[in-house]
Amino acid sequence: MDPVVIGELLAALMFFGVIGFLLLGFPVAFTLAGVSLLFGSVGMAFGVFDPSNFGSLPNRYIGFMTNEVLVAVPLFIFMGVMLERSQIAEQLLLTMSKLFGNMRGGLGISVVLVGAMLAASTGVVGATVVTMGLISLPAMLRAGYDPKLATGVICASGTLGQIIPPSTVLIFMGDMLSGINSQVQMAKGNFAPTPVSVGDLFAGALFPGILLVSLYLGFVLFKAVTDPASCPATPVPADEKADLLREIAVALVPPLLLILAVLGSILGGIATPTEAASVGAVGAMVLAALRWRLSFTILKQTMIATATITSMVFVILLGASVFSVVFRMMGGDNLVHEFLSNLPGGPMAAVAVVMVIMFFLGFILDTFEIIFIVIPITAPVLLALDVDPIWLGVMVGVNLQTSFLTPPFGFALFYLRGVAPADLPTSAIYKGILPFVLLQIIAIAILFVFPQLVTWLPRLIAG
Amino acid sequence: MRFLAGIAKLICAVNLIIGKTFAWLALAIVIICFTVVVQRYLFAISYVWMQDLYIWLNGAMFTAVAGFALLRDDHVRVDIFYRPASMARRALIDLIGVFLFLLPFCWVVYQYSIPFVIRAWSYQEGSANVGGMPGLYVLKTFIIGFVTLIALQGLAMAIRSVLVLSNNAHLVPKSIQYSPDRIAADHPQGAV
Repeated sequence: MDPVVIGELLAALMFFGVIGFLLLGFPVAFTLAGVSLLFGSVGMAFGVFDPSNFGSLPNRYIGFMTNEVLVAVPLFIFMGVMLERSQIAEQLLLTMSKLFGNMRGGLGISVVLVGAMLAASTGVVGATVVTMGLISLPAMLRAGYDPKLATGVICASGTLGQIIPPSTVLIFMGDMLSGINSQVQMAKGNFAPTPVSVGDLFAGALFPGILLVSLYLGFVLFKAVTDPASCPATPVPADEKADLLREIAVALVPPLLLILAVLGSILGGIATPTEAASVGAVGAMVLAALRWRLSFTILKQTMIATATITSMVFVILLGASVFSVVFRMMGGDNLVHEFLSNLPGGPMAAVAVVMVIMFFLGFILDTFEIIFIVIPITAPVLLALDVDPIWLGVMVGVNLQTSFLTPPFGFALFYLRGVAPADLPTSAIYKGILPFVLLQIIAIAILFVFPQLVTWLPRLIAG
Repeated sequence: MRFLAGIAKLICAVNLIIGKTFAWLALAIVIICFTVVVQRYLFAISYVWMQDLYIWLNGAMFTAVAGFALLRDDHVRVDIFYRPASMARRALIDLIGVFLFLLPFCWVVYQYSIPFVIRAWSYQEGSANVGGMPGLYVLKTFIIGFVTLIALQGLAMAIRSVLVLSNNAHLVPKSIQYSPDRIAADHPQGAV
């Protein structure tokens, strides 16, 4: 057989092999690397893979270790964990539910709004779902909410952190896409391409984030009108109402100001995401101190959580680099290139195919694995077909938010299951998320048809 | 078996100390980066070495605490089948994973990084930026530290598997004992 064919065959097999082996349940980062090494050695036996290609690994690794853009990741994680430990989410939920309690669907609306606010203050997803599951789920169930609606709205709102800036996923995607984009443009002979930055992706993700929030709110209101029994009002006693204004001033205003300062300075082009993130992290410490929650224990917990989460994500990136090296050197890139650029229907069909693949990968894999595997092998082809990098990044972000929600392996569903009352059937959680998955698909379709929703703001900022 | 358990315990102690120490870098990154921002925007001064420093500290942090994160089982798994599995089955999967995936990965990275690191030491490589930090060779050495700590913790995992599979689960060091009934909500910080 032709060695080129053998190499491409092995590369394709490796892609599916990785997914198969990941299901074993060994940590993702090492499975990715280990399976790639196995296929690499088979490739060596057939003479289609040269192990000296691994010589590029240390250079890649030190590249990640000295990457100025990616430092924003631990900084935003620090900010998010610190805000979480200072119990800002709890206070926000209680205040918001009082604010909207008098109307039907009010608790659901407060969950969506708090989810959006927390998303705008952190890129961390799990904690938000757990907090809302602990506080809002019992409140909603007590008020007589349909458990399906209650769990669905919590899972969906709790994962908005994926797409609403500052999102860690968008930081990684921005870094990858900017590198790929400049290579692609160089290859095309465009030696002064417009750079793509994380700030651009944040700007591009703002309106899609608002779109998702509006869709969720619309759905809750729709339920409130058509099925009032599913989300009754929770009238607030008069004596609690008197305190509401003061409560809003204490609970809502300070975090809102911090969010506006951090996001505003990034979107306004005043500061880089990394710089703004450090201000956010210090701001979060100040907020915690103002609440008398900045103890040595909390600081230590925050540092350990920040360090281990950061390490977890970056080590997946290190493992995925091994996959990229083997896949590329065995000719997998050519395979993907030929497949994607010869689709009937042109670039849009290619994007659609990649989106569908990512969507289905989302049923089993988690966001970071998917972007670290799929983006390096597909984005060069898509960008060469003149797909807008910012639009592509945001589309992937919205698409992969769905991966947190899709059974059987949706992180959000697990987190909620872990804190939900035992008598709440798991099937209610699975059924409850379905309308929201549908809303996600609608949002993706809208962004697909109207890419201006994404590209409008970054272009305006760039002038 | 007690000897094996002792080795695992020692490895865990090493990664616990290193992990908890290097986690402080998270705070250092925040403070140094914030200082750079204040200097730039309020006083219009900047030091290139400080800009290098907080970036490098991130590299040092995520490599140094990787073994500690493995100890805490913070490295995300696709645990759709793993989580509900019996302890023996989980032990078997971890044993296979360590020898088939984790150790080969560490070995390959080690093999190809050693010349890279030695070269950096040979000319005391510093930052590529003018006025930047000295000691890039130290940061590069963290790659070796990373694979060493991960490989050691992998060894501890393998020992844990052997102990569990040989009905000596009670000998497994406390910090890495399998919980009899695991649910994802035990560590919600798993996803970002």
